[in-house]
Amino acid sequence: MIDFTLTEEQEMFRKAAQEFAETQVAPKVPEMEETGKVSLELVKAMAEAEMMALTIPEEYGGLGLGYTARLIALEEISKVSVAAGMMLQVFALGIEPILKYGTDAQKKKFLPGLATGERLASTAVTEATGGSDPTGIRSTYKKDGEDYILNGRKCFITNAHIADTITVLAKDDENPKAFSTFIMEKGMDGFKATHEENKVGMRGCNTGELAYENCRVPKENLVGVEGKGLGVALAAIGDVGRGGMVGCALGLQAACLDVSVKFANERILYGKPISRLQTIQNKLADMKIDLEAGRLLGYRAASMQDKGERSSNEFAVAKYFSTEAAQRAAKMASDIHGGYGCMEEYAVSRYMRDSFVLGPSAGTSDIMKVIIARWTLS
Amino acid sequence: MEKSCGPVWVIAEQIDCRILSVSFQLIGHGRKLAAALDTTVEAILLGHQMAEHPRQLFAAGGDRVYLGNDPELAVYQPEIYAEIIEKLAKEKQPEIILIGSTSMGRELAPLIAARLDTGLTAHCIDLVIDGNNVLESRIPAYGGLLSIICPDRRPQMATIAAGVFPNPEPDGNRTGDIIPIEVPKEIPQRIQTLKVVREEPEGMDLESATIVVAGGAGAGDPAGWRKIADLAQVLNAALGATRPTVDEGWAALETMIGQSGKMVSPELYIGVGLSGELQHMVGISGAKVMVAINNDAKSPVFEQVDYGIVDDCREFVPVFIEKIKAYREKLKTC
Amino acid sequence: MFKIVVCVKAVPDPKEACNIKIDPVTKTLMRCDVPMVLNPLDKYALEAALQFKEQFDAHISVLSMGPPEAGNIVKECLALGADQGFLLSDRAFAGADAFATAYTLAKGIEKIGPFDVVFCGMASSDGSTEWVGPEIATFLKIPVVTRITEIVEYNGQWWTVKAELENGYRLVRVQIPAVFTVTRALNTPRRLSFSGIIKARKKEITQWGIQQLGVSEASVGLKGSPSIVSTIATMDSRRKVEILEGKREEKAEQLVQRLANAGVL
Ligand SMILES: Cc1cc2nc3c(=O)[nH]c(=O)nc-3n(C[C@H](O)[C@H](O)[C@H](O)COP(=O)(O)OP(=O)(O)OC[C@H]3O[C@@H](n4cnc5c(N)ncnc54)[C@H](O)[C@@H]3O)c2cc1C
Ligand SMILES: Cc1cc2nc3c(=O)[nH]c(=O)nc-3n(C[C@H](O)[C@H](O)[C@H](O)COP(=O)(O)OP(=O)(O)OC[C@H]3O[C@@H](n4cnc5c(N)ncnc54)[C@H](O)[C@@H]3O)c2cc1C
Ligand SMILES: Cc1cc2nc3c(=O)[nH]c(=O)nc-3n(C[C@H](O)[C@H](O)[C@H](O)COP(=O)(O)OP(=O)(O)OC[C@H]3O[C@@H](n4cnc5c(N)ncnc54)[C@H](O)[C@@H]3O)c2cc1C
Repeated sequence: MIDFTLTEEQEMFRKAAQEFAETQVAPKVPEMEETGKVSLELVKAMAEAEMMALTIPEEYGGLGLGYTARLIALEEISKVSVAAGMMLQVFALGIEPILKYGTDAQKKKFLPGLATGERLASTAVTEATGGSDPTGIRSTYKKDGEDYILNGRKCFITNAHIADTITVLAKDDENPKAFSTFIMEKGMDGFKATHEENKVGMRGCNTGELAYENCRVPKENLVGVEGKGLGVALAAIGDVGRGGMVGCALGLQAACLDVSVKFANERILYGKPISRLQTIQNKLADMKIDLEAGRLLGYRAASMQDKGERSSNEFAVAKYFSTEAAQRAAKMASDIHGGYGCMEEYAVSRYMRDSFVLGPSAGTSDIMKVIIARWTLS
Repeated sequence: MEKSCGPVWVIAEQIDCRILSVSFQLIGHGRKLAAALDTTVEAILLGHQMAEHPRQLFAAGGDRVYLGNDPELAVYQPEIYAEIIEKLAKEKQPEIILIGSTSMGRELAPLIAARLDTGLTAHCIDLVIDGNNVLESRIPAYGGLLSIICPDRRPQMATIAAGVFPNPEPDGNRTGDIIPIEVPKEIPQRIQTLKVVREEPEGMDLESATIVVAGGAGAGDPAGWRKIADLAQVLNAALGATRPTVDEGWAALETMIGQSGKMVSPELYIGVGLSGELQHMVGISGAKVMVAINNDAKSPVFEQVDYGIVDDCREFVPVFIEKIKAYREKLKTC
Repeated sequence: MFKIVVCVKAVPDPKEACNIKIDPVTKTLMRCDVPMVLNPLDKYALEAALQFKEQFDAHISVLSMGPPEAGNIVKECLALGADQGFLLSDRAFAGADAFATAYTLAKGIEKIGPFDVVFCGMASSDGSTEWVGPEIATFLKIPVVTRITEIVEYNGQWWTVKAELENGYRLVRVQIPAVFTVTRALNTPRRLSFSGIIKARKKEITQWGIQQLGVSEASVGLKGSPSIVSTIATMDSRRKVEILEGKREEKAEQLVQRLANAGVL
């Protein structure tokens, strides 16, 4: 038989993450919503709570807990703040290419600082000319002696303004079919974070542009084999990126269901709580079904990933399902709240805004379907 | 007089040579229990320079006082107090021992109970003698009342908070015997009370306040709590709390009302953002008027008050404060 | 090495405990699947031990009496930093009052071995009698200080502590071994950490029943309890409420009027 329950230890991880979310994340939410800016105190608290160390092996200063534990942490944190979950999800996404394709020297150099949160990570693929189609990017690299010279501009990059270590995808200046991934570091000459986006949701999670002009990157910073960089970037996005979005989406689904149940029990109409109305119950049941199904898909994929199996297709299914379900849940939750759902005082209004931002990150639903269809037809 | 069973004992407590009111209340109620059992009420009083005090205990209804009057006993010393009472109880075989649920009582009672190999009940809101002449302690729990008994062992012991039973009408004509107790010489001195510090309580004294505003978890956050505190201030009321608000750190433990906290009997009680859980509500007795402000129309608190406001307290309270101020202004002008 | 025992109780989650209700018909408890958690005050007791251990060399044992599921809270304490766990679990322990609980725990403490200090919470969140700490001390024939708010000095065999009193405190010097029951004022408990959970993988939990403890069935659990619950009753309220209606302003106005008329403003 397949065991679908979390282990006692995993339940304890959930509890640790829950305590962290309730005591350290929740108090920061109003400020993040108000300003739209990253709370550096929250980043520090995440680091102290070892949240950046989850996927990094112990030999590099991490906890080596793998991806199920990460999914648990992301779900619990996103339940309180999707923005915080997103920030954390992309830290791991930035770490993953080094973990998977980095040389021993790169791992020794970068991972310990990333594990403690002394350095923060991100991954930059998307450009104005290419999101769904990463081959459409215009960033270029050019060999110059031992180094590479990078030129270009990335957009919609999570953690752009706070990250110290960013894996960047660029195209060979001479060969439009060859892509490579480089580790770029804050402070490199000619490399900077520029425009900061003002998003409707996930406020307090930084998204912005990166620009690099004749930026010299030493060859020690090339990740994987030169010319095979597309695989490096897409592999990380395929499981860690999608898996992270599943965590954010599950947290949001759970939050939507929680506030809906509470409101439906408290709101009295016709002399009784609206939770007695069948239409409302129907919505609650739909949300519950989606949450249960989303969890099964997400945790199944994560457990495959922990076993070292290929899981990007399973994550594509889970990502599609849970981010779509999170949007449905946010809609139903705000419907249940009636007029109150439109008011800023009610968390559902934030859930609604956050839910729409979940879609494009790590690949749109259309792209998930393209992937799933390819899998199905293969 | 032939008695059918041992006496009812009350461990009286004094602070700075003043006997606490709970001790009188227990003697007062002890009389009823003693009447049902056809026995006497006796008090144990430990302190220093207390020679005159037994009179007050007789006036409250005591028949006999065991008096330990010694510098060693001036302040509560757990090992000495427990030793004295254990020895005396083993000799005199009381049927019941009642102790005030004070800081001292809550430590001393279990020390005595364990030494006497007997049971002890906490948080009692009523004590009655049942059909088998057994003491029944009534304790609120789970929205109902548990009755706890200690059927086979004696004495039967219970702690009771101040205010659960009324102050008895003192009867100056009553007298009784005073039996002196010696301080035993060979007591381990493993605990020494170096100093006792009492601070003036901040704000209004809950127990004697005529208006009590109590806040609950519905305050939501410290800012919400401050609004409730403002209401108390405007009303010149004492501010009380429920347990979750103490847990959150908004309110001090001393301000908690209920089974494990203070017992209050104000004229007006206003419960704000609290659910009316029994453990809290048993702390309020004899209030003339009770009001609840809660945003949940189904909240059980509305079954226990005279006036109900169904609204978000954080929104309602500031409006209420303005109306009170306006009312006060009007009184001034006319 | 300095040895500390911390007593911890598994209690119904206080956040959901209001769901435990008395069935008005059968007069029995409806538990409604409320999960069991570590008694909140026991986190402060454990923290006191952990902070001592940070300053001095010490070994911390965690002891709980309860059903097998209470093993989870012992595990949690190991993840928080305790060194070793002990669970007293046996059908015969069920239904214990505070006296029988303290007796069983005292036997457990004796079996764990020599110790210097026992920390307990001031009270559990469910029974909340506050009896267990002082009764353990009595069975072990050692002193106890309840409701401590500060440990002022560790001075060899003599510790100086502050303990809460109504509107104040007492300063007490006590000879260890001793039992201390702690309040929230004592410290700020740490949170569970992922690395703590990993470290707990290597820590042991020993489970003992009546045989291992060497106690008779008659001295523990319901049979060993002097106090028993005789009846359970539901309570009915006495007041008839008037819900004030209207806009917020109107409701406030009416309330002021009502209170003024009743002569309580
Ligand atoms: C909050 C947020 C954070 C992000 N963080 C990062 C980050 O850290 N790093 C990073 O590199 N990127 C990041 N992105 C970018 C994200 O990966 C892209 O937005 C996404 O891949 C979609 O690309 P696009 O926005 O260019 O849309 P486009 O690719 O222009 O898509 C436009 C529309 O066309 C559809 N479409 C495209 N191709 C197909 C197809 N083959 N079949 C059917 N429909 C198709 C899409 O579904 C969409 O509806 C982030 C985005 C957001 C919103
Ligand atoms: C509503 C209610 C009322 C009750 N009233 C009484 C009563 O009046 N008299 C009575 O004798 N019993 C009573 N009981 C039973 C009593 O709660 C249980 O006997 C319980 O096992 C111990 O007492 P406590 O929970 O009150 O602990 P407390 O004395 O309040 O707990 C203090 C500390 O003792 C330690 N501790 C307590 N229990 C354990 C344990 N099982 N394992 C490890 N450490 C522990 C913890 O450190 C805890 O913080 C009552 C129970 C309930 C639910
Ligand atoms: C052994 C034991 C002893 C206890 N002793 C005590 C004691 O002495 N004293 C005590 O107080 N408790 C005690 N408790 C705890 C008690 O059982 C309850 O948990 C507690 O009283 C509930 O506090 P509350 O009403 O503040 O919180 P909740 O029960 O959480 O209620 C909050 C209420 O606020 C309302 N609300 C929420 N938001 C708003 C808003 N914006 N505006 C208006 N209303 C709002 C909600 O509808 C709800 O009714 C004890 C428990 C046990 C087990």
